[in-house]
Amino acid sequence: MSSYQLYRNTTLGNTLQETLDELIQFQQISPSTALRVLLQFDRAINAALANKVRARINFKANKLNTYRFCDNVWTFLMTDVEFKEVQDFAQVDKLKIVACDGRGPGPGGASGGTAND
Amino acid sequence: MDHMLPSPGFSIPSIGTPLAHSGEEEMILPSAQQQQQQQSAQQPQQQQQQQQQQQQQGQQQQQYTAGLPPHSLMQPHTPGVMSPAVGGMSAGSGMFGPATGPSTPAAGPMTPMTPHSNDPGIVPQLQNIVSTVNLNCKLELKKIALHARNAEYNPKRFAAVIMRIREPRTTALIFSSGKMVCTGAKSEEDSRLAARKYARIVQKLGFPAKFMEFKIQNMVGSCDVKFPIRLEGLVLTHSQFSSYEPELFPGLIYRMVKPRIVLLIFVSGKVVLTGAKVRNQIYEAFDNIYPILKSFKKQ
Repeated sequence: MSSYQLYRNTTLGNTLQETLDELIQFQQISPSTALRVLLQFDRAINAALANKVRARINFKANKLNTYRFCDNVWTFLMTDVEFKEVQDFAQVDKLKIVACDGRGPGPGGASGGTAND
Repeated sequence: MDHMLPSPGFSIPSIGTPLAHSGEEEMILPSAQQQQQQQSAQQPQQQQQQQQQQQQQGQQQQQYTAGLPPHSLMQPHTPGVMSPAVGGMSAGSGMFGPATGPSTPAAGPMTPMTPHSNDPGIVPQLQNIVSTVNLNCKLELKKIALHARNAEYNPKRFAAVIMRIREPRTTALIFSSGKMVCTGAKSEEDSRLAARKYARIVQKLGFPAKFMEFKIQNMVGSCDVKFPIRLEGLVLTHSQFSSYEPELFPGLIYRMVKPRIVLLIFVSGKVVLTGAKVRNQIYEAFDNIYPILKSFKKQ
């Protein structure tokens, strides 16, 4: 029943974690409650990305610097990447992709990782 | 005529050629070999002389023409090593023509190995080299996969780390026993260098890797003879060495005995040679097969 905790290290996930830490500091919630919130977040974000998201984006990189596959997780490091959608596109110098198996524990997915302009 | 093809190393007696006059051949052959190179220069001369002599003597026309003119006028099946040479010789000694008759030197018992049969000048290019080496220490594959770059490790599918480097462009399979397979190099030196680089990477990750018993296990080469080949004919005459199942695979699989090389021969004239442990085996195998392929050229 567990889902990937992959999405905790996203803007959304990090903000949530910081908020929870703040609440714990002010002793408004207990650490175990915070943990349950995070687990619920995992389930919610995995389900939403798997079912609610329809948008697609393509990207093309100039060079794949490194790749790694271990524990069923792919990690890619690329340089000079261009993201293309219908009207606009974004350019990025370095891109790291961490991808988990889509058929993993619960719905899996890929996390975009850091993009440095 | 029944079992005339013991091994490709020997010259192949031509199928259905006219009688050979061995006595004359002995005289002609040695110098004829030297003249082989001059064949192209003498061809126009030969044709002129041939015409003259045809007018002079109408007898034995068929066999006659076989004796004098260049190789191309011979019956197509002849692997015909020496006939161009004979033509070359007879240009100088036109008188001998009628007396010699139809001599088909290729069928002679004293015909040596065929390496000088039109040295193709084609050199097979090495495409892939597979080698193995023993790093001589137990390895933790998960640690290697996590810390090395460009590595894949999926123990459920395959019990080795698959690592790649860009220079020389190769792929290595690294096993937990410490043994490693290196593939994809285009030369022996590259293969060794690549294996050393992989060993270095493993060493840098903290394992006491050595470089023991490096050995090249297989070499693959390919080349193009630049003419189409009659595979059906080849499988008929060389049935003990060939297997050709066009419905299974479009290439003829030729298992040469000496050297022990497997060749994939295609209609287009492309040849793939594999199974060699040293480079010379590839070259030798190609030198052996070339005259055979020439004799099965599609006209």
